[in-house]
Amino acid sequence: MFAIVEEPLDVGALIRDAQMPDCGAIAMFVGTTRTDESEGAAVEYLEYEAYRPMADSKLEEIGAEIQGRWDVGHVSIVHRVGRVDPGEASVAIVVAAPRRGPAFEASRYAIERIKEVVPIWKREVWSDGYVWVGSQVGSREGVSGKP
Amino acid sequence: MIRVLLFGAAADRAGTRETVLPVEDGATLAEVWSLLAERHPDLTPMRDTLAFAVNGEYARADTGVSTGDEIAVLPPVSGG
Repeated sequence: MFAIVEEPLDVGALIRDAQMPDCGAIAMFVGTTRTDESEGAAVEYLEYEAYRPMADSKLEEIGAEIQGRWDVGHVSIVHRVGRVDPGEASVAIVVAAPRRGPAFEASRYAIERIKEVVPIWKREVWSDGYVWVGSQVGSREGVSGKP
Repeated sequence: MIRVLLFGAAADRAGTRETVLPVEDGATLAEVWSLLAERHPDLTPMRDTLAFAVNGEYARADTGVSTGDEIAVLPPVSGG
């Protein structure tokens, strides 16, 4: 399954969907939102947006790349959009494979590719403004593009 | 006319998420960009960081576009 969703991720259900008799390993990567502090301010939450349907098809392409490179039985990638609070899962990747090596490698590959090619963006919403991660554009003091 | 979608920091700087530009068939993405930057000069400092997509696929600046195409202006992606 490749999906972009607004609701919290059910990582248990994703693992159950990956269980199959001919696979001896399931590797899961879960990216969670992280708070940060600087100069008396803190990140309150993150907000994600995606360019759809391009983001959906890029997730599917990553799945196809994995199927072409490793012996795997199942690949799922689910990414959240909208507000995600600190500690919550923003992305979950599950790979089931006959053997553990490909499961580990392919799940790592998936998150690295997401960060390269999938048109999804996040902004950190701080107690004193916001910042688009990767562009350093926002409303916080010291950030370019401040209105 | 060509529809241009803006995302993330680019939408923020331009002050809009979507715009329509008077572009002739066969114009390149680079020409679309020039028009866009003229209308939204605050985008100019981001130029070197931006990627473009035509109809949902990454495209180079010399790609030709035609009426009905959907152009997207993509800041550095930051998913995960």
